[in-house]
Amino acid sequence: MLENQRFIFVTGKGGVGKTTVSAALGAHLAAAGRRTLVVVPTGTEKAARLLGVPAIGNTPVEVRPNLYAVHIDPEDAMREYGLMVLKSRLLYDTLFDNRYVRGFFRGVPGLREWALLGKAWFLSGGASGEQQRSGKEGSESSFDVVVLDAPATGHGMEVLRVPRVIMDVAPGGRLRADAEAAWATLTDPAQSAMVLVSLAEELPVTETLELAHTLADEMGLPIGALVLNMLKSPLFSPTERATLLDAPVPTFPEGAEVALYYAVRRASSETVQEESANRLEELRLPTVRLPLLPEEPSGFSDVEGLAGHF
Amino acid sequence: MPENRGLVPLLDRHRMLVCVGSGGVGKTTVAAALALAAAQRGRRTLCLTIDPARRLANSLGLDSMPPEQVTIAPEWLREHGVELGRGSLTVMMLDTKHTFDELVRSKASSAESRDRILNNHLYQYISTHLAGTQSYMAMEKVLMVEEDDSYDTIVLDTPPMHHALDFFEAPERMVEVIDSPALRGLVQAMQTSGRFSLNVVARSIGAVLRTIGRITGGPLLEEMAGLVSAMNELFGGFQERAGRVLEQMRSSRFGYIAVSTPASLRWSEVDVLTDRMRERGLRTDALVINRVHPARGRLPELGDVASLLSARGIELGASGPERVLQAAREESALAERQKQELEQLQERLRAWGAPIQVTVPAFAVDVHHPERLREVAGFLCGA
Repeated sequence: MLENQRFIFVTGKGGVGKTTVSAALGAHLAAAGRRTLVVVPTGTEKAARLLGVPAIGNTPVEVRPNLYAVHIDPEDAMREYGLMVLKSRLLYDTLFDNRYVRGFFRGVPGLREWALLGKAWFLSGGASGEQQRSGKEGSESSFDVVVLDAPATGHGMEVLRVPRVIMDVAPGGRLRADAEAAWATLTDPAQSAMVLVSLAEELPVTETLELAHTLADEMGLPIGALVLNMLKSPLFSPTERATLLDAPVPTFPEGAEVALYYAVRRASSETVQEESANRLEELRLPTVRLPLLPEEPSGFSDVEGLAGHF
Repeated sequence: MPENRGLVPLLDRHRMLVCVGSGGVGKTTVAAALALAAAQRGRRTLCLTIDPARRLANSLGLDSMPPEQVTIAPEWLREHGVELGRGSLTVMMLDTKHTFDELVRSKASSAESRDRILNNHLYQYISTHLAGTQSYMAMEKVLMVEEDDSYDTIVLDTPPMHHALDFFEAPERMVEVIDSPALRGLVQAMQTSGRFSLNVVARSIGAVLRTIGRITGGPLLEEMAGLVSAMNELFGGFQERAGRVLEQMRSSRFGYIAVSTPASLRWSEVDVLTDRMRERGLRTDALVINRVHPARGRLPELGDVASLLSARGIELGASGPERVLQAAREESALAERQKQELEQLQERLRAWGAPIQVTVPAFAVDVHHPERLREVAGFLCGA
């Protein structure tokens, strides 16, 4: 799944495990033989632990054969972009190391988002899609696919909206040209895929449905897959759940009731999980179901185990 | 041992209660439940949420979260077992564009300059879609509601940004932009005649703006200049207000409640947040640990489970008792692990200056009924 695109944008409600899913998807693509770069804008400490490297910095670090990770700092990315566009150190210094400009870029809404998205897109090959691979020999700069561990829903949407905003407000110029090219990549299902991560719980599912609607219907972006994360494997049938939920249990059980207390909670969460997962079926998306691990995933072996589900 | 009153002491000490935390920890629910708890204690309470969550609205008997202040009917609350007495509960959702428009209307010197801003193409985007604006406006709204003396207690939800830090950095960033000579240059470049010319700008700034123009394209720069110069008269106001907000947020009228879950504590997200707040002179007055799985006593033997099920007439399919015990093992393992982690955290938490600590159990079903909201309110108050 997702083996043909070059730009993958992983998003979902906060707390659903986007970083874990990004790492697992990266491991899957790398195992499928694609040179994969996982881009981590925030929470690098967690991502580093999951990928089993000491740290993730501003240059891609090789995690496993074919699998790399990098941290993009939006402010650094903005400076790089400036240097690339201006093609002159002098002009660059005029612009960025200039007391007249200090603070200006940091505060202009949308610029940080553009820097993050633009840099990730550029790492995936930018406008030509091939430029990076043929143009540079260095092992650090040519990737088949970029997996962006994007910010949570609300902020993630703002990141995706930025190219359109630039296209709407900038009548011409380099910025507009780049935004147009990035948007062309993002909206092309052959090149890009949005991946929605959700839990099978009421609130996350509601948010995922809204997110899918906005992405696909309002923005015209291709959704490549839905990932249902942290699924419990059911221990009870629907009838058994109903029976258990009818059983009275005190808040502070004693003796054998302790087991019943937990079983009732389990029955209830299994019911919610099933109903929530069913609500997502209307999206008709290729779905990956990741199991809840007995322990919080903490290293590459966990990530590899999850990668096998893609 | 003194009675555990949870967050109740905060209601006595602070008029403004700010809930902070990273996304997905249940901040909006905690804010709503806290507001309910305040109202139950006789306070006229306003809950300002950022999250348009329809389900939260439903749990308060509304169709959606309103952009204007809406007071929940006491009769409706009474029907759901919530008695407010002298208190009242009003909710509203932050509508970024609405707040921005309101600000422009109240600060613009003339109808003409007001329309120039509201109709500017760039403004339409900045006021609706772009990141950061929501934080600016949340901040702005804080000031607006603080001036409203029809409330005793105001509970604020903060934007679901990563680490929620943007909320605190927004006013500083704004002041930085406003203070930057580049921006002043843009204002200057927009001549009184309404024409855009970099020739009237000091040479150094002109060079900078021309360079920016090389990236953005000239017309965008022109449009920016138009907006910025139209908003110029507002900026003085903005800057002064942003400074005032920070000043006020440090005062004892504001209390801060960090909301987290066991998982977010594990990743030290709350520590980063409180550190950054401390750098800004803001205390963390309380920590709410949300969605904690309740740990109960020792697991019984299989035989005892089988006897209990048959004594209660609970009929399950084949190997029912085994699966009940299996469920208990899995669920209790999670609960015990969280319990241990929270115990290990105690030292770290004490380092924050012993804030009040409250845990809210994970409900097997999501919180979206008034009864549940009331239950959460109970836990927040030490029940």
